[in-house]
Amino acid sequence: MSQRHSHLPLTILFMLAWRNLWRHRRRTLITLTSIAIGFGLAVLFIGLGDGSHNSMIRNAIKLGEGHITVQPKGYLQAPANHKYLTDGLSLSAKLNELNVSGSIAPRISLQVLASTANNSVGAALEGFRSNSDQRKDMLQPQLIEGNWIEAGDHRGIVIGDGMARKLKAKVGSKVVLMAGKRGGDSQAQLGRVRGIFDSRVDELDDYLILSDLQFAQYFLAGEGAIIEQAPVTRFAVFLDDPDTMDYWKTQIKAVIDNDSIVALDWQEMMPQLVQFIIIDDAGNYVFLILILIMVVFGIVNTVLMSVLERTREFGLLRALGLGRQHLLLLVFCETLLLSVLAVVIGWLVGGGTHWWFSQHGIDFSALMPEGTAIMGTFMDPVVYTELSWDRVTQLTVIIFVTTLLSGIYPALKAARVTPVEALRT
Amino acid sequence: MALLTLQGISKCYQQGELQVNALTDINLQVEEGEFAALVGPSGSGKTTLLNIIGGLDTPTQGQTLLNNMDITGMKEAELSNFRLFQLGFIFQAYNLVPVLSALENVELVMVLQGRTVEEKRERAEHYLQLVGLQDVMHRRPSALSGGQQQRVAVARALAAGPRLVLADEPTANLDSENATALLDIMHRLSHEEKTTFIFSTHDPRVMERAERIITLHDGKIVSDEVLQQHHDQPTI
Repeated sequence: MSQRHSHLPLTILFMLAWRNLWRHRRRTLITLTSIAIGFGLAVLFIGLGDGSHNSMIRNAIKLGEGHITVQPKGYLQAPANHKYLTDGLSLSAKLNELNVSGSIAPRISLQVLASTANNSVGAALEGFRSNSDQRKDMLQPQLIEGNWIEAGDHRGIVIGDGMARKLKAKVGSKVVLMAGKRGGDSQAQLGRVRGIFDSRVDELDDYLILSDLQFAQYFLAGEGAIIEQAPVTRFAVFLDDPDTMDYWKTQIKAVIDNDSIVALDWQEMMPQLVQFIIIDDAGNYVFLILILIMVVFGIVNTVLMSVLERTREFGLLRALGLGRQHLLLLVFCETLLLSVLAVVIGWLVGGGTHWWFSQHGIDFSALMPEGTAIMGTFMDPVVYTELSWDRVTQLTVIIFVTTLLSGIYPALKAARVTPVEALRT
Repeated sequence: MALLTLQGISKCYQQGELQVNALTDINLQVEEGEFAALVGPSGSGKTTLLNIIGGLDTPTQGQTLLNNMDITGMKEAELSNFRLFQLGFIFQAYNLVPVLSALENVELVMVLQGRTVEEKRERAEHYLQLVGLQDVMHRRPSALSGGQQQRVAVARALAAGPRLVLADEPTANLDSENATALLDIMHRLSHEEKTTFIFSTHDPRVMERAERIITLHDGKIVSDEVLQQHHDQPTI
């Protein structure tokens, strides 16, 4: 056997590290439990956050203009009644040829003045296919009086309860809708209230008037549109799988082939909602950081105590010929194993908690008696936790790396042990 | 050629504002196969001298030659390797790694030396048998008596095949029966394996078995007496 440097096989290293971890079983279990509980809480809060955000996004998309909106260029920055897609018919045909996995809804959006004998208010008139649009699924269940607009009803309108109060209108009331035209003239149409809804979102209840598509097209005709060409303000594209949004956006852009028409995704359409979610998410991550700080202190305490208790043993090992780097690796391996266990147990606790609440949800309605409207959309009162695979990976990496880094200081402390001083202890 | 030569070894260290001369001008030669004891009262410098011989401490002055190698100027990593391949250690207490069995403790140094699995196992079992612990080799130190733990330490020290074994008060924590048994084993093995043993002790039982007694007082060698011939050398 030739004289070489000392070496410590990985199998022996991990065997020693594993056994050292369980020297003080209770201490190790307490440390693992505290990490698991902290991690479980973090998973729950992140899952709740994602669940509530996704609920808001889904509702916003359903209430709004879909996952992807095809509309005139510049409309988002400066909406105007005279901005519309003149040849909705042929654009609709091109979009339908794509066979989008979902639905495509033509819509008209107009700024009008709604008047009754009692009052006048500014309003947004939204025309859509009353028997098939997503809005029907969202708002028909919210009717508190009257009925939904029948297909072919060219005068019927549905208004929110806030607007009904302002106009002192009820089911059957006549409402005059007046809109300005390009060039300065105005035009008016008469609508009759068929139903009143309460969506719990003030922006809708106080401001929105719904009508069949053809009723709204009368106004576009006043702007010079040819009704036979089915002019619309936009096409709202709703996808069965939101994860395919980027793909379909690319496909839609390719068939549009017109510089004056744009395809925008929901983030571009609702930047304030996006900002709100980012800020809210940041709050959740602050909470996660606080948990991580506790985790770090817990691990450093446990591993450092374990190192200090073994000063003499480390001195013995150094005297026998174990190199500093091996001692450092040994303590680091102990932390590595602790990290792996912590992540596994943390996921059992956190994942179990998440699974439970993903099935049963948490009911927040008692905390929000005035409704759950936020940022022009609303959050379902029962929130189900949601975790994407990206989030799972992110949380796992964060916890694992944090626990691993916690072991650096104790490992360095162990490596600095000199045999002669250690053996005196 | 002597196995160990110490030339002008001195060791001073600072204790607060006080400078302490632990060793002063130590000159010593130890031949291969000797069974020698460093004796003296507490504070005489026995452990310091042993640590310097073992490369665990560095002298302030002087030179240490072991197996023709000057270890005085060696860097830490070199000393570490030197200890691994040339020396064996037996300490007063806490000799063993608590999470390893007796067999694994004996194998440990051979693992670091890079020996094969078969060789480690064979040597470990052989030396545990020599010290009479073949029936308890799978027990951890907490399940062994003090005497048994020291015997495992002896087996570990010898299984690695060192030229020199350094033992710092190995019997200090043992009762008479265990101490005597341990010394008998070490004495016998030193002859069988032709391994040099140097003890630091103030245990008369150790001194009785030593073939050479080197007495230290206040960091200096005050006497160096060969009591009996060791197996290769005539009496001085």
